[in-house]
Amino acid sequence: MARYTSMAYQSADEMVFGTAKYPVKYGRDFEVGGGLVYPELVPHPRPGSEETKKSLVREYEKMVNDVLERCVQLGFPGIQVELEHVYQMTRNPDWGGEIAAATKRLMDDYYQKYGLKSAIRATIADYRKPDEENMRDSDALKNILATFEASAAAGADNLSIESMGGKEITDYAIVRQDIRGVLFGIGVLGSRDVEFLWKKIVEIANKYGVTPGGDTDCSQANVAMFMAGGYLDKSVPHTFAAICRAIAAARTLVAYEQGAKGPTKDCGYEDPIIKAIAGIPISMEGKTCACAHSDLLGNLVAAVCDLWSNEAVEYHDMFGGTTAAVFTEILGYDVALMNTAIKMGKAKDLRDMMINSDKYRDTHGFILSPDNAYEIGKAIVSNAESYYSRARAAAIKAAELMRGDSKLLLSDFEKEVLESTYKALLSLPDKEEDFIAECIPVYQKQVKGFKPSNYGL
Amino acid sequence: MYFLDDYSGIFVRYDLKRERGEAKAVAVEDEALQQVIQCVVDGDTDNIGEVVRKALETKDPMEVINALVKGMNEVSRLWDEGVYYLPQAILSSDAMLEGIEICEEKMGKAMEKKGVIITHTAEGDIHDLGQKIVNALLRANGYEVIDLGKDVPVDEVVAAVKQYKPAMLTGTALMTTTMTAFERISKRLTREGISLPFVCGGGAVSEEYVTSFDLGIWGKDASQAPLMAADAVSGKDWRQLREKWNG
Repeated sequence: MARYTSMAYQSADEMVFGTAKYPVKYGRDFEVGGGLVYPELVPHPRPGSEETKKSLVREYEKMVNDVLERCVQLGFPGIQVELEHVYQMTRNPDWGGEIAAATKRLMDDYYQKYGLKSAIRATIADYRKPDEENMRDSDALKNILATFEASAAAGADNLSIESMGGKEITDYAIVRQDIRGVLFGIGVLGSRDVEFLWKKIVEIANKYGVTPGGDTDCSQANVAMFMAGGYLDKSVPHTFAAICRAIAAARTLVAYEQGAKGPTKDCGYEDPIIKAIAGIPISMEGKTCACAHSDLLGNLVAAVCDLWSNEAVEYHDMFGGTTAAVFTEILGYDVALMNTAIKMGKAKDLRDMMINSDKYRDTHGFILSPDNAYEIGKAIVSNAESYYSRARAAAIKAAELMRGDSKLLLSDFEKEVLESTYKALLSLPDKEEDFIAECIPVYQKQVKGFKPSNYGL
Repeated sequence: MYFLDDYSGIFVRYDLKRERGEAKAVAVEDEALQQVIQCVVDGDTDNIGEVVRKALETKDPMEVINALVKGMNEVSRLWDEGVYYLPQAILSSDAMLEGIEICEEKMGKAMEKKGVIITHTAEGDIHDLGQKIVNALLRANGYEVIDLGKDVPVDEVVAAVKQYKPAMLTGTALMTTTMTAFERISKRLTREGISLPFVCGGGAVSEEYVTSFDLGIWGKDASQAPLMAADAVSGKDWRQLREKWNG
């Protein structure tokens, strides 16, 4: 099967926001990675609006209209709106389809009246339960695929997902600081599930002539990152969470090997590594997603982005208008600054400022700084024998980078975790088949409901 | 790429200024029991079985259980003081529960639990990691946990409350569009004359929302669960819990 064995860029310094090696075009005159950065606004419906299809469609119409109107009011050239499905929209494929259709009608209208460039990303909810059902043949899977079809048929320009494969193992492993389990859950099972799922998603996208967008390890690496939290949190060590992220890059890459074209999903913090390898445009979220969650890399993650997102903002009123409009404005001005830097020939200067703002603030920013992301990417493509070997190589490289940079300051506890995790990684088998044979009996015993057959094992 | 040498004034690593305490197992005179305690404090799931079985050769199962609990109490202290992270607490909990299981086999009966707690993740929501952490912490603190799992329909939660008559119910949700199930559960229980503390938390679940309906108490963090359970088991009603933990 296809696996990346080389880097899209000759060096990390080649990468900058707004430009990707392989830009993608879709929607209404919308091009991502073609020299400019665009905002990607993700509105979230208010609790209660999901009670009926009618009330939910109406909620989306209002939110999307607020977004488009604010773009025109302030002169923003273009925008992508992500319809990130609440589960009601995927469980009922016609709901998701109708919301995509309503969004398209509004976008067509603004395009005709004002020339506002726009696109719709539909992110279908993966509500399969890995420990309770057959992941490869369940009602949930049938509904998910039906919703992809309904959304594509109704007007979504880009199809994406946050897939769940391996989560049952990773959930168990993250809260026990078990790096072997994380490698198994994300690196092996997650990769196999992405391969299975994306063959089908690409097929649907091609059938309807829309763009297969991307995946993200939101359900696993983001769990580790969010649990690691800020400086005062004591849930998951930050060094451990950063290594989980490097493993996630090897997993998320599989979607693009199966034919996804990007832009990647905004919550895929592993995306700078993906861009370095695959050259596809990426969507990122940082300071402007503080409405949804906190992180320690608010500026750095914008360094090589092509879409700049807010993750998700629940629809409410603020002094400055509705939240959807307000966050459109914030994103729009961020993007205007980046595009001004591009036009003035200062893009790399602004990029470096973003990087320096956060590179040493925390371990996640450190490993996703483009120079280090590039090194992790090289470790992945140089170890392409199996999903496992490249995920393990990414983890080892991330650990080595953290161990080897004296400017990255760590508490004694974090140092201990880094050393013990690094040691554990080195002690694991070299071959995927040996690793799988070692893991299956261990996690079948420890994780209730884990079924290797869900992953073709 | 250009990198600075000096990052002062850009950010401050407050985490590095915190003093780190020391992990120490409680000292007891008996060597076999000391090993049991140490295993729990270390979260040593590889060796707990052997150590507990060895202790049971000369000790009464309840004595060994008391040692396991002593170890876990020490872990709670270390976690409260910020010495331990969550993974250490979970591993210690795993070790303790494995040890208790062995003791219970020897006794031929389950040890008495402090009370029954039902936990679930909201209908439509499959993100149950928060619930799993709550389960582990409640079990480690001696409660019987009825785990209904994830994406649990309102009807099933109500039926389980009627069947098990728990001291407390918990609900976890990641999204605001799934947390609305909590209010439906509250209404159903209230309509049927059932009153118990219903602790809700996770993701975007807010105090304002949870305290807007009867029975609801907002749980800020999983670590609060055993303390809330202790209040519920002691007879405090949902209003008293809300007054103590919220607002």
